Amino acid sequence: MKRSTWIAGIIVLVFLLLWQGMVWLFKLPPYLLPAPSLVVLTLVTNASMYASATLVTLGEALAGLLLGLLASVLIASLLSLRPALEEGVMTLAILVKSTPLVAIAPLLTLWFGFGILPKILITSLVTFFPLLVNLLTGLQRVDRALIDLFKSWNASRWEIYSNLRLPSSLPFLFAGLKISAPLALIGAVVGEWTGASNGLGRIMWLAYSNLNLPYLFAPILILSLAGMLVFRFLIWIEKKCIFWQAISMDE
Amino acid sequence: MNRFLRVTLLLIVLLTACQPAKTTPVPSVTPVSTETAVPTAAPMKMTFMAGYKPQADLPFVGVYVAQEKGFFAAENLQVAIEHSQGQGAHLQLTASGKVQVTTQDAAVLLQRRADPSLPLVSFALIGQRGQQAYAALESSGIKTPKDWEGRIVGYKGTPPPDMFAMLKQAGADPAKIDLVNVGFDPRLLSEGKVDIYPVFKSNEPYLLQSWGYKLVLWDPADFGVPTLGLAYVTSDDTLKQNPEMLTRFLRASLKGIQYASQNPDEAINIVMKYAGPETDPKLMRYMLDAEMKDLVIDTGHANLPGWQTKAQWQALADMLQQNGAIKPVDVDQVITTKILEAVYGK
Amino acid sequence: MRLVVRDLSHIFPGKPPRPALRNLAFEVESGQFVAIIGPSGCGKSTLLRVAAGLLLPDQGCVELDGLTPAQVVAQRRLAWMGQSPALLPWLTVRGNMLLAQRFRPSGGNSRVEVEEALQQVGLSEASQAFPFMLSGGMQQRLALGRVLTQDAALWLMDEPFAALDELTREKLAADLLSLWQPRRPTVLWVTHAIHEALRIADRILVISSCPGALVADLPVVLPRPRQEGTPEYQNLLSRLRAALGSGKP
Repeated sequence: MKRSTWIAGIIVLVFLLLWQGMVWLFKLPPYLLPAPSLVVLTLVTNASMYASATLVTLGEALAGLLLGLLASVLIASLLSLRPALEEGVMTLAILVKSTPLVAIAPLLTLWFGFGILPKILITSLVTFFPLLVNLLTGLQRVDRALIDLFKSWNASRWEIYSNLRLPSSLPFLFAGLKISAPLALIGAVVGEWTGASNGLGRIMWLAYSNLNLPYLFAPILILSLAGMLVFRFLIWIEKKCIFWQAISMDE
Repeated sequence: MNRFLRVTLLLIVLLTACQPAKTTPVPSVTPVSTETAVPTAAPMKMTFMAGYKPQADLPFVGVYVAQEKGFFAAENLQVAIEHSQGQGAHLQLTASGKVQVTTQDAAVLLQRRADPSLPLVSFALIGQRGQQAYAALESSGIKTPKDWEGRIVGYKGTPPPDMFAMLKQAGADPAKIDLVNVGFDPRLLSEGKVDIYPVFKSNEPYLLQSWGYKLVLWDPADFGVPTLGLAYVTSDDTLKQNPEMLTRFLRASLKGIQYASQNPDEAINIVMKYAGPETDPKLMRYMLDAEMKDLVIDTGHANLPGWQTKAQWQALADMLQQNGAIKPVDVDQVITTKILEAVYGK
Repeated sequence: MRLVVRDLSHIFPGKPPRPALRNLAFEVESGQFVAIIGPSGCGKSTLLRVAAGLLLPDQGCVELDGLTPAQVVAQRRLAWMGQSPALLPWLTVRGNMLLAQRFRPSGGNSRVEVEEALQQVGLSEASQAFPFMLSGGMQQRLALGRVLTQDAALWLMDEPFAALDELTREKLAADLLSLWQPRRPTVLWVTHAIHEALRIADRILVISSCPGALVADLPVVLPRPRQEGTPEYQNLLSRLRAALGSGKP
């Protein structure tokens, strides 16, 4: 294992021990602060429930992220091919982004029913804006020398877009994904933050309204782990895709 | 690049294929012969949305039990059970017809009818007394509302008119009270951040007592303040177009409530199916028992569960108006006894 | 391809506006190798960009065989090479060559020509490498190879070897010469390297500092390979230095 992973592990362990110690020392009741041992116990005794809830939330997050990605790729590409539309479309995008989800959520239920689709849509609304901004920047910010070259080849706007802009926007896409992937997780949980759904958000919400903190903290543990794994996964994929740039994460 | 796409596709397939079934369990249809079943019943479908999360509120319990024990099936009524997303979404969805029946606190229903004129109507009143009360720690020495003066009092949402009415009755001066907005967190009381905390009679007292605290409780109804609890609510349109469906629903749900009063342990097991292991079954039992007490209060109409009168609603509306909580509202628009009459054959 | 520059002027807007070219005019016969020398920032790049159709001048024009640069670009008969090699980092050496191929006018067995071009610039062994693995010199050789595959009648080169060290520059300039000789396209080659210009070009144009105007037009009628020590060479060198020093026609 890499040295940095060792260090990270030790830091986490120390944190957990301090937490456990505090609870024991101050005799804190579980409804104020549960001990990590209790949280882990809760997690383990309800493993299958948490596992299926995690799958639901992750599924929603992934689907929402992909939908947001698709939307942002289409819109950013459109704006790169027809720059005249940029201001108008971006104004609309900001409008959508600024609308509080609380206002939109019941409307989504009205149109799309009680199932999982509204949650996926909420998540995609949350993720698409950072992706759009980053992708657009990436498509536009291309080395002038390359643009000159393509122009001298009499390349059409589409050929410049598909052969040059799109591939060179990949680093920016990953920057956007590193922001949007955690947002997708949060978005999915927020969308589930009622009794009206499945997933980790529902468990957390119900647990809180029963002031059942061990049940509340277990998903937090899961979500932190999931967030970390997702981030590492993204970095790994980035290295594979953008092989021509040295990404200095492991030193 | 291809590798990236393939990995992603695989992930999508895996995660979206692994969607477990919704936690709303499949109803176990044990047909119960019921003498009140309509003989030539055409099948009907509807959606019930509980106005809050899955828990042992009495109107919810009636529906859960009716579903599990087959009372809806016996009425040839297919009921999809949902729970509110919060922020009053259940009211919006009922008003727009996406949901046929929901639940709501009577005072809030009056407020929503007054402004923004949601076309909603109560067709059965399950809680004949209001759900809210006010609690203080016994150790604080606060005994009467007059003792509230100079203390920190929490309220949920907006300052509650029933509290002001109660203070007036008890001869206390509301101006001498320090009001703070709180959310759902009885720990504020146990940790001494507020002196008086607004509770749902069927909920927070249990939690606080289980943590070892003794409480003093004040119920505005004990001070002559008119309060009402949860009602079954539908939209004007649904009432007009489908009273038969509502009748079947109410009949089965009331039967469910009756069954729960006689078989409380079984009822709680059923509730737990909807609520999940994060919920404390003892809390649920406490909730059920507490709300059962307010199901029927001798108000002179032969103890029929769910019955409502214009007089009791008008009293509530007047109290709300006097305390500045609502604009004048026509109570005849807000309630109907049509469905109750059909169920009880009056 | 015959190149005619007529009364070319251009001012870049700004505060203050930057005049780049003033009434520049000259003609280049087909197949001539012309080096353009002058102090930095005096319009040499601007001249080349106009010729490549990348910039529309305020006044005057460049004619290529009687056509506008845009028309020639549409026929894909000119090749552009800038200071930066402008390679696509996600494509291999061969991939970059093939990409240039795609933008050629149709016809021809492109694969074979790519192999040939790779060989001529000495990159056959590295054909599967990616640009980030190559040295600066190799990258520019790849860019040069790209120009070869385009089989263009006009080569426009804006200080292509400026970012390289002296030895590599000399080598690449010699390579350029040997690649040009069998084909004899018309070449406009902007450079700072006086000796390389003398060694390779048929003609050297000296352009003054801003706004750019023609200071000197020196034909180099010496047989190649050219010896630095010869009196004709030294004579040209001093005339060149004088023209650069004076900065006026």
